[in-house]
Amino acid sequence: MYLEIARRNLKRQRMRSVLAIVGMIIGVMAISSIGIFGNSLKMSTLEVFGGVATEIIVYPSYQDGYSSIDPHTALKISKIPGIQDFIAVKSRTDYITVRKERVFGTVYGIDDPGQLVKISRGSLVLSSSNCLAGAVLAEKYGLRVGSKISINGYSLRVSGILKEKGRSFDINPDRGIIVSEQTFNRLYGGDYSFIVVYAGSVTGVKKVSDQIDSVVNRRGTVVKIWEMKDFLESINRAFTYISRFLMAIAGVSLLVAGVSILNIMLMSTIERTKEIGIMKAIGASRSEILTIFLLEAILLGVTGSILGGVLSIAGGYAIDMIILKSAKYVFVSKTFLYIAQGIGFGLITAVVSGLYPAWKASNLEPIDALRYE
Amino acid sequence: MEKEKREIVRLEKVVKTYHMGEHTVHALNGISISISEGEFVAIMGPSGSGKSTLLNMIGCLDVPTEGRVLIDGVSTAEMTEEELTRIRRDRIGFVFQSFNLIPTLSARENVELPMIFRKVGEKERKERAQKLLEKVGMGDKSDHRPSELSGGEQQRVAIARALANDPSIILADEPTGNLDTSSGNEIMNIMKELNRTGRTIIVVTHDPSVADFAERIIRIRDGKLDVS
Ligand SMILES: Nc1ncnc2c1ncn2[C@@H]1O[C@H](COP(=O)(O)OP(=O)(O)OP(=O)(O)O)[C@@H](O)[C@H]1O
Ligand SMILES: [Mg+2]
Repeated sequence: MYLEIARRNLKRQRMRSVLAIVGMIIGVMAISSIGIFGNSLKMSTLEVFGGVATEIIVYPSYQDGYSSIDPHTALKISKIPGIQDFIAVKSRTDYITVRKERVFGTVYGIDDPGQLVKISRGSLVLSSSNCLAGAVLAEKYGLRVGSKISINGYSLRVSGILKEKGRSFDINPDRGIIVSEQTFNRLYGGDYSFIVVYAGSVTGVKKVSDQIDSVVNRRGTVVKIWEMKDFLESINRAFTYISRFLMAIAGVSLLVAGVSILNIMLMSTIERTKEIGIMKAIGASRSEILTIFLLEAILLGVTGSILGGVLSIAGGYAIDMIILKSAKYVFVSKTFLYIAQGIGFGLITAVVSGLYPAWKASNLEPIDALRYE
Repeated sequence: MEKEKREIVRLEKVVKTYHMGEHTVHALNGISISISEGEFVAIMGPSGSGKSTLLNMIGCLDVPTEGRVLIDGVSTAEMTEEELTRIRRDRIGFVFQSFNLIPTLSARENVELPMIFRKVGEKERKERAQKLLEKVGMGDKSDHRPSELSGGEQQRVAIARALANDPSIILADEPTGNLDTSSGNEIMNIMKELNRTGRTIIVVTHDPSVADFAERIIRIRDGKLDVS
């Protein structure tokens, strides 16, 4: 019944209530939409880095004077339990002769690069006389499967064209080529530049990296170990902070909505002073008056927040389309979390804004309230 | 008719002072009254003599500056706010000059309101409200809003509301003040009927013909009993 009384009181000042609800809708929508956008931004960034969370990269420790990893160390690493894939990488930047032009690019020596790159045409199988060409290189110089290139007079047949890999923390063969380790040894010799290993599971990453550390770095730091997981987590964290910061800015609009609820509730407390006096005269207690007035604020808050929450799907969609040009991250489960968060903040704002006017109403002296005209 | 002589309301040397900036107004100036259960009392006096202040004091809406107001032998000044609220809710029914119905509620809901405050169950509440409205001749207009009722009809609803929690004291401040003579008479007849069923009625009025319904008239002037 108190709820019904509250509802009718809001209807009495329809325009005013509608405006307060609109304020709430805007506030909640701003927070939730920006939350949804922040999440989309994070997810699309993680996609660009495309890292697998089980990936661990082992570099020589340059600070300690190591510039490569020797085969003995590499062998020790490969034998560590919990490793699912082991890829030792040799690399060198050099001039590659393509159609009589000398192009500066990276030459990788990897025996089984299937984990690190994807093939677009041809095959990934490497022998002593062929190579895989990076996407950008192939495109720029019109390389096809079967084209010939040479390095330092050593001729190689292009047996596969790679898919573009983009930014990455292991290898970047887009402007270079990949040859077998044997071929690389014949060209340059030398030890490994770094080693990429994959743990069997995300939870196994820590164990593997600890093992590498204890096996290889027992007598001084020989290698640095870098977990992709850490990196992904730090991206995650950074974007969570950005997202929260943006939401806090959007929160200002919710604050404004809260002030408008405060304002209309104070107005109606004053307008209904006489009514409060009557209710007290016929037996309403302080807490009952408080309940009636607080319910009005809550009703405004609930209506505005829920509508705002629902509309924020559209808001998030719009921002994503404008900035990220894609809405594929709008319909993910995290979205509901941000909607719930927006609604939650909306409700809290409404209750906090309604508390003071309701408290004020409940504290009126019955006799003063009754005399009020 | 025989009546019990149990004292229900007692005022002892009650003083009520209001401070208006520099001035102090003695709305009540040492007034002592005793009212027995089942009495029908009219309080008369010129405007500003302190009638409303007196009635509000009895109705536990206000407490005296000096002296004591006792309801059933208990001083209102010693009651907690909760106890005052409970007395207003359960023991006293208020009827005002300007009816004072809640405009957003229907006639029946207005009558239900004191029962809502007493946490009476919905079914019982609705039935009782309807019965009370029938008793004051408003049974067929229970769904009307106050704005759809005449002054006399509104005042009848107000009486039904005053009766909601079956109080033993009915306080009415100029209940006929905004009504024409015939509606006023109807209201006073209802009051008389309530008095016949054992309720104590205290009515403030200017109107001698209204005071005629009472069995005792208390006259006050300048916040004191007028014994001239
Ligand atoms: N809250 C208040 N503040 C200041 N003065 C007050 C207050 N309430 C009453 N008074 C003063 O106390 C005196 C008595 O007021 P009260 O309302 O009791 O008179 P009344 O006899 O009911 O008059 P009326 O017949 O016009 O209703 C008046 O002078 C009034 O101005
Ligand atoms: Mg008066």
